[in-house]
Amino acid sequence: MLAYDPATNPLNNNEWSFPLAECFHIASFAFSVGTIALVDLRLLGLGMRHQKASQILKNTMLWTLGGLIVVITSGLIIFSSDPLRYFYNDAFRFKIITLFLAIVYNYTIHRSVALKDASGAGAAATAVVSLAMWVSITFAGLFYAFT
Amino acid sequence: MSIFGDIAQAIQDTAFFTAIRESGLAYPVIMSTHLSSIGVFGGMILMTDLRILGLAMKDVTVTDMVRQLRPWKYLGFIVMVSMGIMLGGAKLAQYYDNPYFQLKMTLLFLVFVHAMAFRRSVYRNTEALDRAPEMPRVAKTAAILSLCLWLGILSCGRWIAYFERSEEHRPVPASATVPNIP
Repeated sequence: MLAYDPATNPLNNNEWSFPLAECFHIASFAFSVGTIALVDLRLLGLGMRHQKASQILKNTMLWTLGGLIVVITSGLIIFSSDPLRYFYNDAFRFKIITLFLAIVYNYTIHRSVALKDASGAGAAATAVVSLAMWVSITFAGLFYAFT
Repeated sequence: MSIFGDIAQAIQDTAFFTAIRESGLAYPVIMSTHLSSIGVFGGMILMTDLRILGLAMKDVTVTDMVRQLRPWKYLGFIVMVSMGIMLGGAKLAQYYDNPYFQLKMTLLFLVFVHAMAFRRSVYRNTEALDRAPEMPRVAKTAAILSLCLWLGILSCGRWIAYFERSEEHRPVPASATVPNIP
């Protein structure tokens, strides 16, 4: 058995650390998803059309990566407040699986399509899948809180 | 109850807000949409500010950032605010005297003031900003204020849920509630 008692976690023992962790989680999520969405908007041909998709990708990738690192770190901190409840929750499991797939997708298919400056139906489909995954992850995060 | 309390209660008692509050599905779906638009459109606001500060998107002109994202930011703002009105309206009697809610509304009003104040000098003046050898101080000020306002709004939004209700909102350790773990 794990010798870990969540009751000793600071997140469960003061008024401010849990909401603070959530603020970091949401703000860094805006950086990561927001920057990926900029690339998606370009792949869809709906925005940032003066730039190439590859140019937007290269200009945003550091912020995407930074955002992902903070969003995952703060997510792990939040998870530590009550690991078993998260682990046995279906919405949370869906979120983690989709998050894993979305990260792999982002750094493989999504990245190569953007670097090739692809356009048309293929590029649009790549962007739609990307947006759908990130939005599903957000929904799953919220639905966890309501179950 | 104060007159404000009566008004807040009357608003949240309308059929529309009652339906949202009492629906098991509508409330989380609206909140998820609120959060998703923070991700997609809030990110655009943050990146525009970082571009003006010279910290991101340096290959893209400020003009291109501001102009090309403007319709999307408007759309995002409309989605975020309409979802927010539904969330806030459904529980207004509980929120109206919540200091974090009041601060959030104040900051949202200041976002409007900010947009008006820097409209001529920054947001409708981007070609001059791009021509300038160095980013003018007024633009940097606008970007920093925008970052502060939006991160403040985000934080207040989260803290609304914790005002005087921190005990019941804090997760209960699973070890205390799940007796049989395989």
